[in-house]
Amino acid sequence: MHNTYGMPGNIDTPTAEVFPEGQFSVSSSVFGGTIRTTLSFQITNGITLSFRYSRIPSALGDYDGYFWDRSFDFHYLLNRQTKYFPSVAIGLRDFIGTGLYTGEYLVATKNITKDVKLSGGLGWGRLSGKNNQPNIFGIGNERVSRSIGFGGTIHTDHFFSGTNSPFFALSYSLSPRFEIIAEMSSDDYDMEVSSSKGIKRRNDLNFAVKYLVAPDFSLMGKLMHGETFGLSGVLTLNPRNSPYKSGIETAPMPLLDDRIILQDQQSMDPDIFSRSEDLLELDGINLLTLRIVKKDTLEVEIEDRNYLDVAQMVGRATRILSKTVPVQVQVFKLKLIDFQSSFKVTEVVIMRNAIRENELAFDGPEKLWSAVTFKNPSPTISKDQGFVGKKTIWSIYPDIDIMLFDPHFPINGSIGWEAKLSHRLRNSMTINSSIKQPIITGLDNIKRGPKEGLPNVRSDYMYYYRDIGTKPYLANLTIDQYFKPFKTIYSQLNLGYLEMMYAGVRSETVWKDTNKPYGLGLDLAIVKKRNTYGDFSLIDSNYTTIIGSFYYDLSSDWNFKLDAGKYLAGDYGGTLSLFRTFNNGWEIGAYATITDVEFSTYGEGSFEKGITLKAPLSWFTGKKSKAYRQTIIKPISGDGGARLYLENDKFLYERIKIYGKKSFKDNWKRFYR
Amino acid sequence: MIKWLSLTILIFCFACTNDDIFKNEKAGFTNIYKNILLRSLSIEEKKIPSSKTVYNKKWLSKYSQPIIALSSPNHTDRATLVALGNQNDKLTWVSADGLSVSFDNGILIATRGYSQDLMESHSEGINSIFNQITKAHHKTYRYLNGQNEYREMKFSCTMAYKEGIAFSLLDLTLNTTKFTESCKSGPSQHTNIYYVLPNTNIVLKSQQWISETNGYIDIYNYYAFQGNI
Repeated sequence: MHNTYGMPGNIDTPTAEVFPEGQFSVSSSVFGGTIRTTLSFQITNGITLSFRYSRIPSALGDYDGYFWDRSFDFHYLLNRQTKYFPSVAIGLRDFIGTGLYTGEYLVATKNITKDVKLSGGLGWGRLSGKNNQPNIFGIGNERVSRSIGFGGTIHTDHFFSGTNSPFFALSYSLSPRFEIIAEMSSDDYDMEVSSSKGIKRRNDLNFAVKYLVAPDFSLMGKLMHGETFGLSGVLTLNPRNSPYKSGIETAPMPLLDDRIILQDQQSMDPDIFSRSEDLLELDGINLLTLRIVKKDTLEVEIEDRNYLDVAQMVGRATRILSKTVPVQVQVFKLKLIDFQSSFKVTEVVIMRNAIRENELAFDGPEKLWSAVTFKNPSPTISKDQGFVGKKTIWSIYPDIDIMLFDPHFPINGSIGWEAKLSHRLRNSMTINSSIKQPIITGLDNIKRGPKEGLPNVRSDYMYYYRDIGTKPYLANLTIDQYFKPFKTIYSQLNLGYLEMMYAGVRSETVWKDTNKPYGLGLDLAIVKKRNTYGDFSLIDSNYTTIIGSFYYDLSSDWNFKLDAGKYLAGDYGGTLSLFRTFNNGWEIGAYATITDVEFSTYGEGSFEKGITLKAPLSWFTGKKSKAYRQTIIKPISGDGGARLYLENDKFLYERIKIYGKKSFKDNWKRFYR
Repeated sequence: MIKWLSLTILIFCFACTNDDIFKNEKAGFTNIYKNILLRSLSIEEKKIPSSKTVYNKKWLSKYSQPIIALSSPNHTDRATLVALGNQNDKLTWVSADGLSVSFDNGILIATRGYSQDLMESHSEGINSIFNQITKAHHKTYRYLNGQNEYREMKFSCTMAYKEGIAFSLLDLTLNTTKFTESCKSGPSQHTNIYYVLPNTNIVLKSQQWISETNGYIDIYNYYAFQGNI
């Protein structure tokens, strides 16, 4: 179903189809000197978005006879096909930025039989290169010209303007794996045919064979416009479809009746803490304190380093405590402790009998939910956390740093090693450090220079890579102190070498009520620039950032974050971030920062923006883990809207919110897993 | 260049940490990349370990706790499970390697430790399912999807039976009634088989369906023969 643009389509033309909701696709298509690599995402049932990076041959190409171009597409399915009517979709191709692929389309698709599919549509812009007809909307046959400025901005005047051209496609499924396609495309490949490196366009026809190698991997071989052969590959992944379904962790401890509990407890260690601690440890949960008050209430502090899904963790902890504590205890109060900060983040109060009664009941988790309350725990740091596990944690691992979208080296990077050392001085204070050494690197030879017009707070990053070369350097070295002055206020202070380019002091304070799906934050930093060699020395240049944040985790699968304040270069503005989230930890989002810096001053790209992708390890392995990989896909950085590059664990809200009531509710059906 | 390449290889070989959780996370991510490169993202199904034990009354007498056995339908894998949970006559049995199965009146109502666990289920008339067999009945199975939401399958089932079936378990041959439960939900269908002691609700052996991924398991009720426990 992917075309060469990585969007719903046949070969080069679009179809009125969509991918399964939530699906990511990475596709790459190669033909006639053109390379298109696309990340597409089915963001809702009807909307498909994509981000593409392309090499386009052209006589005017500014990099060795090619353009390297980023583009975004939007595709919306207006209606699905019925017995008599086709599905219809509308699309905008390359609607942001320099617009080398700019075009719009209306397309209809209908299955004539189960295996035969017919598509036809009208295209504008690039899709009206051949067989042009007068504009069907009567808005003139001259395409409205675009003022692209420095790229990265949306202009709408040209949408559906100028002549339009028809395109058609017919596909036939030989088997569930094989599909043959023929299409008539109206794209004239104007730029590409101007170059000897580009496609030779002999006619309007394309032919292809698609083969589904595996459910998530397909290949397409194609003959484009009479002479050019090409190949496409598509890899798909849908966060909704975990390969391990409900997970492959071992079964939890079954709940016992009181008679058996009394029998079992006679053969257990008489120390309740000790016997509970041993069993909890088997499930990867650290018990820090345990006390029984008023004979019927159990108060425990437990630390979580393993469970992204805290509902499951609390489920397992309460099952074990049901086995180990006296049967008279009827109320469980569990205070959850964040490992890194020792913050008491949430107190879960749950009735012991309700856990047992609903274990094997139909709608058990729903019935249990009414017997659970969540509270904001006391404004203290856990005193016992530091005595569990190791105070010093070190690691040496390979390190890969990838940099995209530099036209001189579209995919650049380095490979080397990273040594990390973390030592807990007190429960609330840790020294964290990281030393890196690139061993093989292409980053020490970046051709482009810093941008002009603003203080070079980020766009001179190439000097750091150049001067570090293959030498070891201090990536960061900070003393991190955590505070919790009130029940709902969490705070940290980071002092030292914060990142490769900056050192100084930074504080973050977050207000987060465990029962509310929103929070507020304030991030302040006073920093100096570091020497470009990555050693301990500093450059005499001071910068400050003052950024306030509003976080909202919507009841649907969307979160947003609004930041506003003063950025590194002294510019004032805001950042809007929007994330499509999945309960299992996957997240895809986009952000844009607009400040009082003129687009012309910012330079290429006009403003700071990017796409974020977060993938949890537990989804891939089926086993409990809090680990995830986060990738930010962004153009070359400018100085406007720049912020400090800090490690993910330096942001409190993300760490605290997974213990909030909303997170529990979203994943409550895993309580008994 | 060779020096640097060698050093890189050395680092890969000696990638290490003193923290087990960090080590597991790194290994997990490395395996993901490896699987993507080798195109072998396959599910590690939990196998019931095989056993060559002879199952007779002598073997059963060694156990001082209630036990049942699970096996794959092709009898290649087998495990013994002990009863650990008992809620209102719903029994949960646990194996040493972390599987658990729960039954109500001999009917499988939940599993844990399989990749596609039966999280919860509801069967109409579960307590009289072997007595009132003329009616069609309905049952609902619930599984977790990747979003930690329920994926629900609603089955329409019919029950047929045949009396006087000779059935061997341990070193005994017993007269049983064989119940065959045929269930359908859209394109998905399964058939559960129960061997029941006549005029009782005691299921001696059954073959029951868990999920699309995990298929069937055979369940041997040795507890029925542990009269002294």
